Amino acid sequence: MKQGDKLAVRIWKGGADGGYTEFEAPLRANQTVLDVVTWIQRNRDPGLAYRFACRVGMCGSCAMTVNGKPRWTCRTHVSKVTQDSRLTIGPLRNLPIVKDLVCDMTVFFDKWQNARGRFQGRATRYDDIERIAPDTPARKAADAGIECINCAVCYAACDVVAWKPDYLGPAALNRAWTLQNDIRDTAQAERLAAVAGDAGCHSCHSQQGCTAHCPKSLNPTAAIAGLKRSVFQAVLRGEV
Amino acid sequence: MFKQHDTDILILGSGGAGLFAALHACQTDPDLKVTLAVKGLIGKSGCTRMVQGGYNVALLPGDSLERHFMDTIVGGKWLPNQDLAWRLCQTAVERVRELENEIGCFFDRKADGTLHGKAFAGQSFDRTVHKGDLTGIEIVNRLMEQVWARPVERLEEHRALALIPTADGAALAGVLLVDMRGGGFLFVRAKAVLLGTGGGPTMYRYHTPSGDKSMDGLAMALRLGLPLRDMEMVQFHPTGLLAGPETRMTGTVLEEGLRGAGGYLLTGEQRRFMLDYDPQGERATRDVVSRAMAAEIRKGGTTEHGGLYIQMHHLGPDKVRKAFKGMVERCADSGFDLAGGLVEVVPTAHYFMGGLICDTDTRTGLPGLFVAGEDAGGVHGANRLGGNGVANSTVFGGIAGEVMAKQVKGEAHRDPDKALIHAEIERARQPFDKPLGDLNGLRERLLDIMWDDVGVLRTAAGLKRGLERLTELEAELLQSGLADQDQVFNLTWHDWLNLRSLVEVSGAIARAAIARENSRGAHFREDFPEAGDMEGSCFTQVRRRGETIEVTEVPVEFTIVKPGESLIDGDAGAPQARPA
Repeated sequence: MKQGDKLAVRIWKGGADGGYTEFEAPLRANQTVLDVVTWIQRNRDPGLAYRFACRVGMCGSCAMTVNGKPRWTCRTHVSKVTQDSRLTIGPLRNLPIVKDLVCDMTVFFDKWQNARGRFQGRATRYDDIERIAPDTPARKAADAGIECINCAVCYAACDVVAWKPDYLGPAALNRAWTLQNDIRDTAQAERLAAVAGDAGCHSCHSQQGCTAHCPKSLNPTAAIAGLKRSVFQAVLRGEV
Repeated sequence: MFKQHDTDILILGSGGAGLFAALHACQTDPDLKVTLAVKGLIGKSGCTRMVQGGYNVALLPGDSLERHFMDTIVGGKWLPNQDLAWRLCQTAVERVRELENEIGCFFDRKADGTLHGKAFAGQSFDRTVHKGDLTGIEIVNRLMEQVWARPVERLEEHRALALIPTADGAALAGVLLVDMRGGGFLFVRAKAVLLGTGGGPTMYRYHTPSGDKSMDGLAMALRLGLPLRDMEMVQFHPTGLLAGPETRMTGTVLEEGLRGAGGYLLTGEQRRFMLDYDPQGERATRDVVSRAMAAEIRKGGTTEHGGLYIQMHHLGPDKVRKAFKGMVERCADSGFDLAGGLVEVVPTAHYFMGGLICDTDTRTGLPGLFVAGEDAGGVHGANRLGGNGVANSTVFGGIAGEVMAKQVKGEAHRDPDKALIHAEIERARQPFDKPLGDLNGLRERLLDIMWDDVGVLRTAAGLKRGLERLTELEAELLQSGLADQDQVFNLTWHDWLNLRSLVEVSGAIARAAIARENSRGAHFREDFPEAGDMEGSCFTQVRRRGETIEVTEVPVEFTIVKPGESLIDGDAGAPQARPA
């Protein structure tokens, strides 16, 4: 790389019926995909819409499709995704476009709820904190998936979501599995029923797009497999 | 043109303060209509989410509320409002239990299954409860799931533009917002409003908070003539990543633990310097290290991008990779080798201690307006302890939810000052009618003014020059227009609005910094390096009166403990004594 090198960038503009517009941007040694998008908005196209917040991979706001793959753009160095200085940046797949690179994530969050992706405990703020060993198999299984930042990269990577829009998707099911392994939780039967239906865990074809693309290196495929086993055992017991 | 909308309780912001307020308001009175308005997406745009370290709470055996309180007061250099600090320590216990037992957070355990408390600088007990080094994600993810599950009206990507009082100014009537997606203006009438937009001093060249932060909350409060305190108190973190210009990576924080574990800070010529400044070396407190770094940078001999280096590899690259996995990975994503190489760092603006004056029930001086989190002032005084930020937002956010819900029962809506709504819309639309300006140039100038003249090391001459330059900048900003005339998701318009809020708050920071002629906590005056008389401590108060901004000094009331006294045996703020 030398001074004055350029990036050839194509960026999605408009809504679902929009198209790509070409821009040229400077190539720099320290530069993320979000930095490229920001440079274009600040210097070439002031109307360009995109979403970001924390800029350090914590908030999960800035995911986009970069050279065909869903990625967190604030933590994706340009050199990691292009060898020929070409970038194609679009909105995430499987979500409605608001404008340009911004998607409406409402359905993604709704499905998180539909998978009963929230804790329900029996103790209250007036009780002591439960003593729980950190190294049991259940706790380890919960911990394995807990650092999800709800960026929807897995949801955009999932072909099943593309074919079957009702499918709850990897992030919601991953959260459900962490809760099924949380011994403090009291809604496990209801949650299992919520993920056992047509749009639930059995729709997963184990293609592992979610796991391959998760920026946090989580494994939703394994979580969904865990849910499938639990549903199967519950069916055998006559509980679902 | 604007739409109108009514709700019982309107909450601005969805960090720890906003989410807890929504939750507790719903729990206190399920019949109320609660509306959550946020500039980004719910749970994704606040700084609570970015908390790495953890949550200070006196919950572990051997600790006490008195000890947590004394650490907070001594850390805050005797400036905190002691009643607020006490309420913080007291309620943190209940709040952490609630987070674990009701919200579903799972904090790190020791092998015996009890909570693990980690050591944090400036504290006399290892009380910081945490989830690895990503505590904020755990807290906010679990909270947002609980809020999603309740009938809270969500106004996402709705930015607050102005607090609108009644025509006689006696109480708050509601808030003017812009729907960022649709582009239209919306006036929400509410019986109670929580200001929980968060601080985030992003007007500095190097800063750590979320990139969308613009201090709109304090700018709105200032414009309405409400009193703000401790506005000179900007906390700098010593180790911000320095990746060069035009990258959002620059300024982001590399965690405190790197220094604590034995990391070295080096000059551009790779010479260790911290022991020249403090016998604790790199392990000295944030303010001391930040000042030493600023002094070294001023001497010259810096790195390629004008900063210093952090070196970790002498501790063993593999050990560093294991102990600081998150930091090593983040640096690697940005193109730097933290475990084996040198990474450029620079002090970086991290947290804003100043804020709107309020009582222990989060009430402000304006009926109908409540405040919690980084928008509120007084809890931390001159310095915030690591781990007290997330405690502050979650404790007082929850209190606000309860207090607002009880208060609005049976209350009627108040009618707004309509003329002011129209004036505020004009004000927000101002750049659409102006010739195209150079927003990038103005932003760069603001970052430099604040860094150079109102930064880590301050003098009267520098501060006055900074204030003059801010005044010129503001005048230019007001004449600067936009190229794109569409109001729909127009980020450049929002950049303009961000700059306007930041410039207004920057002026308040500079004025308060001029007024404080001593050096306390985060505020350091090279021309007044002494801390001053503790018994006679004052806090600064900034408020707008007509066209002028007035700064006064208000004596601190030592309602619980006086300088020289203590509620505990042993030293507050000192590291815990360990058996040899």
